[in-house]
Amino acid sequence: MLSFILRRLASGVVLVAVISFLAFVLLYAGGGDIARRILGENATAETVAKKTEELGLNRPLLAQYGDWVTSAVTGDLGRSWFTGELVSVSVSGRLAVTLSIVLGATIVSAILAVVLGVLAARRGGIIDGAVQFLSLVGFAVPGFLIALFLVLIFAINLGWFKATGYVPITTSATGWIASVTLPVVALSLGAIATVAAQVRGSVIDAMSRDYVRTLRSRGLGMRSVIYKHVLRNAGGPALAVLAVQFVGLLGGAVVVEQIFAIPGMGQLSVRSTTLGDVPVVMGLVIAFAIIVVIVNLLIDLAQAALNPKVRLS
Amino acid sequence: MFRWKATAALTVVAALALAGCASGDTGSGGSDSGRADRLTLTAIAAPTSYDIGQGAEWGNRSPFFQAVFDTLLSKDSAGETQPWLATEWEYNDDNTVLTLTLREGVEFSDGTPLDAEAVVASLEHFRDGTAPQAATMAGKEFAAVDATTVTITQTAPDPSLVNLLSIAPGLIQAPSSFENPDAATDPVGSGAYILDTASSVTGTTYNYTANPDYWNAEVVQYDNLTINVLEDVTATVNAIKAGEANGAKIADNNTISEVEGAGWTIESNELDFQGLLLLDRAGTMAPELADVKVRQAINMAFDREALLQSLQSGYGTVTEQVFPATSVAYDEALDDTYPYDPDAAKDLLAEAGYPDGFDLNMMSTPAFQTTFDLVAQQLADIGITVNYTDPGTGNFITDMLAPKYPATWMALEQNPDWQLINFMIAPSATFNPFGYEDPTVDGYIQAVQFGTPEESDAALASLNEYIVDQAWFAPFFRVQGTFATDANTDLEFWPTNAYPSIFDFSPKN
Repeated sequence: MLSFILRRLASGVVLVAVISFLAFVLLYAGGGDIARRILGENATAETVAKKTEELGLNRPLLAQYGDWVTSAVTGDLGRSWFTGELVSVSVSGRLAVTLSIVLGATIVSAILAVVLGVLAARRGGIIDGAVQFLSLVGFAVPGFLIALFLVLIFAINLGWFKATGYVPITTSATGWIASVTLPVVALSLGAIATVAAQVRGSVIDAMSRDYVRTLRSRGLGMRSVIYKHVLRNAGGPALAVLAVQFVGLLGGAVVVEQIFAIPGMGQLSVRSTTLGDVPVVMGLVIAFAIIVVIVNLLIDLAQAALNPKVRLS
Repeated sequence: MFRWKATAALTVVAALALAGCASGDTGSGGSDSGRADRLTLTAIAAPTSYDIGQGAEWGNRSPFFQAVFDTLLSKDSAGETQPWLATEWEYNDDNTVLTLTLREGVEFSDGTPLDAEAVVASLEHFRDGTAPQAATMAGKEFAAVDATTVTITQTAPDPSLVNLLSIAPGLIQAPSSFENPDAATDPVGSGAYILDTASSVTGTTYNYTANPDYWNAEVVQYDNLTINVLEDVTATVNAIKAGEANGAKIADNNTISEVEGAGWTIESNELDFQGLLLLDRAGTMAPELADVKVRQAINMAFDREALLQSLQSGYGTVTEQVFPATSVAYDEALDDTYPYDPDAAKDLLAEAGYPDGFDLNMMSTPAFQTTFDLVAQQLADIGITVNYTDPGTGNFITDMLAPKYPATWMALEQNPDWQLINFMIAPSATFNPFGYEDPTVDGYIQAVQFGTPEESDAALASLNEYIVDQAWFAPFFRVQGTFATDANTDLEFWPTNAYPSIFDFSPKN
């Protein structure tokens, strides 16, 4: 297992390096005068030229990338060209915010998807139909519409939750709950739809196997059979889908963070990309790539734990 | 068996508990200091760097800088210049030396003294940096005559200098912080508030606490100030409806009815105009624009009232002048120079030798597609075919100033007079990328700069009349700049900036 983990981490490093180079090139390929974007229309051409030189924007692309890599491998991701804040501080500060929402949505969607998927697989009939219909709605309705609907009803009309902003859990636990609940729900609905459908299919397939009949014939209750045996076998494919959903939720967080004005990585991504704040964008690219590598590694390990037949190779 | 009843009971309890959670905490309640507890505002743009040499800016970023730094001079709610860090100011006979007398006993938040040496260092730091308005201080020299006297020496009169000292160029940062690499996010000023870096999130939320040693405590109405950056219009409206702020900058005037429906009060000023900049007046790229009749015809092609209604829901005022209504240059009568008359416009084009019209290359961008469509439609009505090119994200201004196009639609600030001249009209103006020069205009500019106040005012009026007559631009309307406050907050919105002064807010109770 250790060699498997090390190999995956090594390939992750290569992946991050390739992604960083592509991102760097794409940022500059988009064109545009970054110095002018920083300074706005009030700055004179002389000030813009001075800012261009200050940021080293007039240097060859490869030279700029080389400098960035040289610093990045030592942990120095530079400073934002717009705010002057250390990129590592910007990204790490917002990482916790985004992860709290995305992990929350993942956990909520995993639990509800398992419940709904098992319910649909076990009961069939109208309940199965209802769950499939709800799944379809979750697929079809865009996340931002769900978010806007939730804000209107639960934040503005009922006043149960915050419409905008984020309260750190260290400041107030109830404030944190009030600020993350609606974003988590908005993100979860689409994921629930996808994962529930996968769980339903996997459970139906698993329940048709001989070992289930054997277990039942020994007198085990259906609940025990499902939760102790069937889910274990059906969990593998569902975990894979959940991993994909997690990555998708990271992207979905961009929209949700804009609507709820939450200071997460998604909001920072939108702002820094629009402005052309290259150091921050590069920091975010690295952070996202590392998260995806780690998540996929963890899912692989979880699948191996669930099913001893799975080989880590 | 699924425990429905237990789950339902738990859900109800959780909902009741959470019902008390979503406090807007905009608390205007009182405190031991006698001030209200907190003023919560929303802004549409985050500050860039708090190092004034890099990021000092006014406009929609003013509250962030005004909170922690003092300016040398200030503007009151009527837009009149008032003493602030400088208690007196006076020019010499030829207006090349401005002498400022500083207030005594002021300290920065780190305890270092705000004296003449510190002011000089700060002004030089701004001048030599790359803040957007750094060029306004180019060529000026600063000197500390004694502990409380500063002189600003310039090679030629700058009629905008006193105004500049009340906005970004006049912000004073502690020299002790210049070498601090974290100065961009941890400002050291003498302002009414101190930034709480621990609870603030750069780019999103800025929390300030009242400076206990502030020299002008009587103008501070709140113990705490929070400014949340909401770039999304929907998020701003949601925050208003949910009562999560006391004051909010309204970026989209189409949301005004929703904001008023939530019980908020609208305050407004007019600082920006939208319209066409007919940049290539010498006909370098578009020979047609060299003829004043063509430029005048373009002005007559636009139904300004209809454009204002379509694009701004009627919020604003139609105009044909780039000088603001508050300027001595402004003449209301000039707004009737070019009535909407497509037929007369076609006749003018025919007189100029273009009876069948011509093609005009301009830029467009998706963010303002409706505007560009209407412009193209109205110009097409007089025979001018607009060929649009989307320059790509972030290139609109760059390509305009390159220059790559003979004319363009633009939204620009109507600066105070001398700033506007150097921004849009003078041969070296930023938004005169073709460097177009007119001897008549040059003469007026000279009189504005070197004349007596009476001569200057007269020259401004003549200059405005001339550029309207010569149709240098085709302005459509002045845009209403809108700010909203909740039922607990009073505001006197100054006419000179897009964002109110933080000192002009007060609790109603």
